[in-house]
Order: sequence, then structure tokens, then C-alpha cells
Amino acid sequence: MGFYEGLNEEKYDRQYKDSVLTQRILAHFSGQKKEVWVIALLTILLAVITTAQPVVVSQGLDALQTLPSLGGSLLIGGAVLLIGVADWGLNWARRRMTVRTVGDVVLNLRELAFRAAVEHDLSFYDQFSSGRIVSRINADTSSLGELIIIITDVSAQIFNAILLGVIIVRTEWRLSLVLFAFLPFIFLLALSFRRMARKVTKSGMQAMADVNSTIKETVSGIAIAKNFRQEASIFGTFDAANRTSYRVNVWRGFILALVWPSLNALVGVATAVLVYAGGWSAAEGAVTIGAWYLFIISLGRFFDPVMNLSAFWSNIQSGLSAAERIFALMDAEPNVVQTGNQDVPQLKGEIRFENVSFRYAENEPVLVDFSLSILPGENLAIVGHTGAGKSSLAKLIARLYEYQSGRILVDGLDIRSFNMQQYRRQLGLVSQVPFLFSGTVADNIRYACPQRDCISEADILSMARRIGDGEWLETLPDGLNTRVGERGAMLSMGQRQLVALMRVLMQKPAIFVLDEATASIDPFTEWQIQQALTMILQESTSILIAHRLSTVKAADRIIVLERGGILEEGDHNGLLASGGHYASLYNTYFRHQSLAYVEKARELVEGD
Amino acid sequence: MTPTASPAEFTLSRRPTDRRSPLRWVLSHTARHWWLVIVMFIGAIGNAAFAAYVPILTGDAFNAMLHTPPDTKVLLPLALILGGTQIGRGILQLGRNFGAELTAQRIERDVRDELYVSLLGKSMTFHNLQPVGDTMARATNDVREVNYMFSPGINLVIGSLVFLFMPILFAPRYHWSLVLTPIIFTILYFIALRWYLRTLNPITEDVRASFGEMNTHLSEALDGIETMKGAAQEEAEIQRFNRNSRRLRDNNVRQGDIEARFVPLLLFFLALAAGLLHAILLYRQGILNIGDVVAYFGILLMLEFPTWTSIWAYSLISSGMAGAGRILDLMTRENNLDQNASGHARPMHGGIEFRNVTFAYPGGEPVLREVSFVVQPGQTVAIVGQTGTGKTSLAKLVNRTYDTSEGQILVDGTDVRDWNLASLRSQISIIEQDVFLFSRTIAENIAFGKPEATRAEVEAAARSAQADEFIQQFEKGYETAIGERGVTLSGGQRQRLAIGRAFLTDPRILILDDSTSAIDSATEDRIQRAIAAAAKGRTTLIITHRLSQIRWADLIIVLRQGRIAAIGSHDDLMKTSEAYSRIFRE
Repeated sequence: MGFYEGLNEEKYDRQYKDSVLTQRILAHFSGQKKEVWVIALLTILLAVITTAQPVVVSQGLDALQTLPSLGGSLLIGGAVLLIGVADWGLNWARRRMTVRTVGDVVLNLRELAFRAAVEHDLSFYDQFSSGRIVSRINADTSSLGELIIIITDVSAQIFNAILLGVIIVRTEWRLSLVLFAFLPFIFLLALSFRRMARKVTKSGMQAMADVNSTIKETVSGIAIAKNFRQEASIFGTFDAANRTSYRVNVWRGFILALVWPSLNALVGVATAVLVYAGGWSAAEGAVTIGAWYLFIISLGRFFDPVMNLSAFWSNIQSGLSAAERIFALMDAEPNVVQTGNQDVPQLKGEIRFENVSFRYAENEPVLVDFSLSILPGENLAIVGHTGAGKSSLAKLIARLYEYQSGRILVDGLDIRSFNMQQYRRQLGLVSQVPFLFSGTVADNIRYACPQRDCISEADILSMARRIGDGEWLETLPDGLNTRVGERGAMLSMGQRQLVALMRVLMQKPAIFVLDEATASIDPFTEWQIQQALTMILQESTSILIAHRLSTVKAADRIIVLERGGILEEGDHNGLLASGGHYASLYNTYFRHQSLAYVEKARELVEGD
Repeated sequence: MTPTASPAEFTLSRRPTDRRSPLRWVLSHTARHWWLVIVMFIGAIGNAAFAAYVPILTGDAFNAMLHTPPDTKVLLPLALILGGTQIGRGILQLGRNFGAELTAQRIERDVRDELYVSLLGKSMTFHNLQPVGDTMARATNDVREVNYMFSPGINLVIGSLVFLFMPILFAPRYHWSLVLTPIIFTILYFIALRWYLRTLNPITEDVRASFGEMNTHLSEALDGIETMKGAAQEEAEIQRFNRNSRRLRDNNVRQGDIEARFVPLLLFFLALAAGLLHAILLYRQGILNIGDVVAYFGILLMLEFPTWTSIWAYSLISSGMAGAGRILDLMTRENNLDQNASGHARPMHGGIEFRNVTFAYPGGEPVLREVSFVVQPGQTVAIVGQTGTGKTSLAKLVNRTYDTSEGQILVDGTDVRDWNLASLRSQISIIEQDVFLFSRTIAENIAFGKPEATRAEVEAAARSAQADEFIQQFEKGYETAIGERGVTLSGGQRQRLAIGRAFLTDPRILILDDSTSAIDSATEDRIQRAIAAAAKGRTTLIITHRLSQIRWADLIIVLRQGRIAAIGSHDDLMKTSEAYSRIFRE
């Protein structure tokens, strides 16, 4: 029902011109020109057939006035039958064609949109939440498809109404004026109902959202309420929300219940006027009986397109907005651009930053004229306060962001010249909150190589056993075949880290980039993570954004980063002894991780 | 566990409903609003009857004009009656629509209330085993489905059934045999509709499932974009997306094909042609007037409304009944815990003993096996082990959130099952890993277990919990509402509010499931002080990752795969357990 569509949509400010959008939408149909023409043709035929029915019936009525032959009677009945069958058949053919054509266009759009999304670098994802991008790829493409279907349906109805209009004007123009005089009223009534419906739907949705969040809270809080025997208090909160929702929704229901009765009454009154005026015209011989009937029956046929037109504009608008969101996603320029596509040799892992400057946004420099050299096989820990540029440094190496000036060289080669896929295959990346894809633990460990040929189950198992005697495997209910759930939610944070580290261990990258987690992990798992980490550090050049004391201590070299510059560098003991920036950072972030702190914890709490 | 029927833990006086089956239950709710149902029926019948008056009166007008000479005198009265009936029709239709809407909204309200009261009456065991997301889905979506079942579902079913019936009722006005077409149509229509829905429903389900799958994978892929790029797996993900997207497209096409050949529409057209021919033939024999043919054809056109509406009206009813079934299932689920109102009710000292305790969740493998240990009143016990070793389950046995499968748990030497449940629970507090806070002020959250606490008491509790400092930093201090814009609390801060809560209720046994981590040493200092203050003067079980908590606990229990792998003081374990001692090596 077109009338009720899009009542809860938000307005959206558009950047693209309607004509540009229309052209681009049409361009996506260019591969299916033939189908589009056939659909258009079927739509026109359908409109003609739909118009033919009342015309044939009214002609039949005229013919009835002189008593018809049996053949004549059969002819009328046969004509109505034929029209009905043709109507159904044409509709069948049209819908089949439409669903295929629109389905293919949407399929193609989705692929393009997803490809575009994947090709964007991470700065794009900082700007737009992934939820919004998902809805552009899924929901907006769907609504674009629906728009096309609505357009074909409404144009069939409008075409039908125009044909009928022409016929009745030519039959008796004065009587047709009586009919047309009602249409604006129906249209205005429909329009104002839509406005009201939109308003109450919006407030209804708002109230519903409030109620749902209260219900969510009161349902989640039941256990706590029971713990403290506060059931009555929590029931009060629930009850108030439930009653509010009832009030708002009854009002909304009343407005929506009003729509069809009012419109039906108005159409009924119009019919009465036509019966009266048409009756006089027929009595005076200005129109035939059949024509009179045509007028009465036509009223209803104008009704649907007029109703749908009241919603049509906002349908079009929301469809175009959806189109714009899709095209904006596809048009956004990727920031990370490779200058070449050079094959990447087996890397040794020497990394050099030469006068690199990097910023996420204008006037917010992160790295300024930054230079750093990392030896092959070296383990470098980066420490510093939040916002010092630690993560940026790591992400630049992985080419997840674009830097604005300077050069980054790996084994003496500019990383901009690399074939990115080959380059990244030699990188091992573990982010602060390790991300797992739904599937099994084993699937995730071999994520970098989904074809099972490069990493066998036995390889994974033997590697897993080397970490903490494989004790972590026994905490997984189905071992390597344990399902990790969406985003790894069924595993603990520590287990997720172990899986992510296993992934890197199997991949054997030349360069390992770790953004260490800050989550709390039980000491036994922590110990296993430490073991896995040690194994990786032995084999790769490592850049460690360290949050754990043990990691900083394990590094060959520590650099202290602040405002995108290196303040100090050296090893743990040396830096601590010198009492500079590192010593102060240590006091802020690492002190409580030391065994000395553990030993003194009792004094600390008793010192109060 | 003995499945005895015991009184619910919370009740409110409500008119009872019939919970023997979803249908009876829905009917017993509907019966309360019987007068609205009557309004709905009167509205539906009146609406359809008045709608039939349009063709009938039009036909009369035609007959009058075809008189020789035309009888124009009746034209005005006919038109006035016609207009009048249609205004009346509008009012009756409003009665039908709004009657249905009001019934639907009231039932939604009542059902949700009944469900919620029932949830509040269930045991903590029930709530710990029942996933919150699932309960939520029933309290929101399923309740909504029940609403939609009435409006527009039943509204449209009644409305369209009455419309189907009108031609059968009014056709005999003109000639008895004219009833044939509407009757045959109605029969064939239901057969065709049934077949249509049967073919369509599984495909609609496929469409929904394939859309869901595409959506889940898509959002997962984009959330994991960094990992995807880091592992150079873009092409593989695009291929996977295309496969999902194509499956959806194919299902959409299958659905479209079935919708395209909607046989009831064809039947409608056939009925029009057959009826018209029938009427013309009767006219030829002089049995009908032209006006009667017009009226009869118009009456047949009324069949268009039920032809279209029934497609979704019936599916609304079936999903509404399914929703009702799910709600009912949740409400009628047995509540197994015996309250033991006549059991021991006395002040607690806080001694705990586990004797050969084995515990399994219903239908699962044991998560704890033969666990035995003794805790003296006032001791602090650290429970450590990897994820999934049964730490949390162990803690929840003490206050009978769950009952043991085998073995005994004694508090102050008395089996917990022999304690009065209310007395036992009121003296034991659990602070869970994810601290739940209500959208109330901070002060109200701290005083949640003791609403009568004075402001001074609340602030004192917050100070002991090391929470006062961050609370004061909010503009509105203790009056800051949780969930307000700009108010975000870290896990550690939430935990300290919960500790503040515990200070006010002053339990004898405190169970703390601690998994917070401090980013900086100063915060860690505060957490240490808060926990130490909370543990002072009561028996405390801490599930913890903190080495300092483990180091200084009176008793340390190391769990591995549901069994005690090591137990003792720090000094003992450093000597006896390699697994334990290595976590204290740098």
C-alpha cells in the first residue's frame, strides 16, 4: 500500500542534482535495455487493458437497450472474460520481468558498492560507522529497487487514469467536470492525512523506542532487582513505560484508522453527486445509459492513482536519497593510492621512515617530519600517552592510511610502489581488539589462506601444542573446531588474542605489527600469550605498541613517542635508570604491572 | 532439584488468564474487551452492507431513468440516501478500524504486563539461565506480533470475510440463481489462496533467511575490515558477498514469480465475466432490468477487496499466534527453586564449606566436579583459572542462584537448601562481571538495595568504594543520571558503584567477579583500595585476574577444567604448583 510507505523516514540533504542521479540510475539499467523496453510496453498494454474493462461494460449496457441476441450477450461476456485474462496475464509477465531486471540491477549495484567499501582505507571507516555503510549496501540498494517497482506501478495507474479521463471528456465534458472537481479534494485529503500520519508515526516510533529501551533495561535488570528484592520498584518503572506506550499508540492508531473511512465517505458522496447529475443528463438524453455508468465506475479508478500520488513524491525523494547514498559510497576517492604494482620479493623486514608527515585531518598533525630506522629482525616497542601517534605509525606501515609527505621504505623499496596484496601477505597484523570472523577457531587461524592447502590441520595443532603445552586448547569445548560466534563473541578476550597470534604464527610474516590489548586477562592465559608472542618476536621484525610491562621488557629497543616525535630511545633498564620521559611513563602506566607492586599491594591498602 | 510447585517470588493481583494453550490464552485476553469486539463486528458488517448500497442504489437510479418517461423525481432522494449511507459507512468503518486498533493496543499492554509480572516472579536460576536477548525479543517483538494479529490482522480478516459474504447475501434480491457466481468464487478462492500461501510461505522464509545471512556477513566483514586488509583477503570477501547476494536475488525472483501468478485475481476476473454474462442472459429472458444488471455487476466488484487483502491478513494471524505461543512458553516454564520459607533465618557469620560439589547446567556436562574446600568467616578467597573452568558457576552456587547436582554447600554449617532463601540471599551480595546500572541517578543506583538510605550514607559508601572522586567530576554529581548524554562510565567505575551498593546492604558474604583492567597505575591503586575495603570484615570470594589480589588472598583456589588443580595460601602454592608459580615469574 503505497499510501503508508516511508512515513518514518528522515529527511536527507542531498548533494547531487536530481538529473544527475536519474541519469546514473538509468545508466545501471543500460545493460538491460531490451528488458526495460519490454516492461514499458507491458505497462502500457496493461493500462490499456485495464481501461478497456469499464469501457466495454458501458458499451455493453448501451447495446442491452435494444434486446441483444444470444451471440451479442456472449460477445459482451466473452470480451469481459478476455480482458480479465489478459489483465492477469500481462500483469504476470510484467512482474516476472520486473523482478528479474530489478534483481539483477540491485545485485550489480550491491557488488559495486561492497567492492567500493572494501577498497576504501581506514580513514573512510573513521568517518562513517560501518553500520551506516552496511545499510547503504543492503537497505539503500533495496529501496532503490523498490522505487523502480513503485514507479512502474504508479505510471501504469496514471496512464490508465489519463486514458479514462480522455474517454470521459470526449463522452460528455460537462459531466466529466463534475467528476474532476472531486479529485483535488481527494488528493488534498490524502495529502493532509499523510502529513498527520507521518507526525503520529514519528511520535509513536519515538515513544516505542523509549518504551523498548525501558523494557530492555527492566528485563536486563531483573536479576539485580531480585538480588536486592527490589521487584516492586522495577515494576513501577516498567509499568509507567508500558502505559505511556499504550497512550501514544492509541492516539496514533486513531489517526491511522481515520484515513480510509474518511476517504471512502468522500468518494461515496462524489458517487451520489454523479448518480444525481448523470441521471439528469441521461434523462435529458445528453449521455447514454452506458456513458452514465462509465462515469460512476470511473470515479473509483481515479481513486487509486490519486491516493498513491499523495505518497509518490516522498517515495521518489527517499528513493533518490538512497541512490545518492549508494553513489556517494562508490564515488568517494580512496586515499591510499599505489604509484606502482611492483612484485614484492621475500622481505627481510628492514623499515625506514624518511621525513614522514601524517595527519588524519587538516590542522591535526600526527607525525611531523618523522624519521625512524628499524633493522631487520629487530623488536621495537613504542610507548607514549594516548594520542601520541603510536597506532598511526603501525597503521602507516600496513598502508591502512595514507601519509602526506616523506617516504616509507621496506628493504629499501618504497611501499607505495608495491603490489599491495603481495606486500600485506608478508605483514602480520594484530589489532588492539583482535577481530575474529564467525566460523571455527581453525578457520580463523588460517584466515590469511582460506584454501586449506597452504595450512593443514596438523600444522595448526602442532603449533597450538607449543604454546603453554596446548593448555589453551582444552578450554575450547570443541578444540580447533570450536565455533567462535559473531565477531568472536563466544571466546574470551584472552582466547581471541591467542587465536590472532596463532594466525600470525602460521602466516610467518616478515613484519609483525601488534597493537597490544588493554583488556584484563587471567594470568594463566596471559602467560600463554607471552609464549606465543616470544615465538613470533624471534622470527619477525616487530613493531609493538606496548601496554604490558613484559612486552616492553622483551623489546630490543623502546622509543618514547610524543606529539609525533621521538623523545627518547633505548632499552628498558637504561631508560628507566636515566629517569626521563620513559621513567615517568613507566610510573603512570606500567608500575602496577610489576611484581614489586604486587608485593607492596598490602601496604598500599593498609596505608589508608 | 525437586520440581515442586512453589509460590512465585513476586506477584501482583491480576485477573487470571487461561494459559492452557496459545489460542485459549489469546481468547481469554480478548474476552476482557468483549464490547470492543462487538463494535468491531457491527462496524465490519455495517461497512460492507453500506458499501453494497452503492451498486444497489445506482441500479435503482438506472431503472428509474430507463422508465419511459424517466422517473426523475426519485433521483434526488436516491442520491441523498446514497450519500447518507456512505457517510454512515465511514463512521462504521471507523468503528471497525478503531475498535480493532484499541483491542490490539490494550491486549499488547495487558500481555506485556502479564509477561513482566510473570518474569519478576521467576527465580534467579531462571533468569541466569535465560538469555536476556531472548526475553527481550519476546517482550518486544512477540508482543508486537500479537498486536498486529488484531490490527490489522483480524480486522482485515473479518472485514474481507464480510465483503465476501455480501454478494451472496444481496444477489438473491435480483434472482436466486445469481448467488451461484459468488458462491463458486468463494469456494475456489479459498482453495487458491491456501495453495498460494502454502507455496509462498517457505520461499518468503528463504528470502528472509538469505537476507539475514547476507547482512550478518556483510556487517561482520566491514567491522573486520582492518583484519581483512591486513590478511589481503579482499577478493575472497567480495566473492563470499557476491555468493550471498546472488542467493538473495534468486530467492527474490522465486518469490516474485509466485506473487506474479496470483490465481485469486484471475478467479476474480472470471467471476466478473461469468456473473455479467449470467445477468445479461436473465435480462434477455426479461427476468432482470438493466438497472439490476448494473447493480449485480457492481456487487460483484466488491469481491476485489477480499481478493487482495487476504494475502497478508492470514499470515499476520499465524505469526501472531506463533508469538503468543512463545510468550506463553516463557511464562509457563517451571520455576524449580524451593523458597523454603520455613528454613533457617538468622544472622550469618560467613563460614562456607563445599563438600564434594559437582554441578552441571540442565542437560549439560558437569562444569564443576568434586569440589571441596572450607572458608572461615571473614577470609578472602581468590578463585583463579582460565575461561570456562567453572569459576563463575562455583560462585553462584553459594547463594543458590543454582543448586548443586551432587554434594553439599554449607553456610555456617547449615546446608544452603535448609536456609530460608530470602534470609540466605539478603546476606550474600554478588557483584557480577558486567555491572548493571539502571537509568536512574548515581545516588539511586548506589542505594538500590537500600532505598531508604540517607544521602550521607550514600556518599560515605561511595567514598569507601573510591567512587566519590569521579562522581564529583560530573556536573550534577550524585544526581547525574546514568545513560544521560555525555555520561559514560568505564567498567572499573561501574564496578566501584556496585561496591558502593554492597557497602550499604552490608552483606556477610561478598562475591566479586572482577575482570576490570586499569589503564594506569593510579586507577589501579584506587581499585585495590576499594576491593580491600569491601573485603574487610566479611567473607569475600573474588574471581580475579589481579596478581595482587591473588598474592594476598587468605586462600587461593586454582581451577582447571572444573576441578581444583591447586589450593592453599600463596606461599604454599609457590612451592607446590608449577603452573601457579610461573605466573609470578618475570
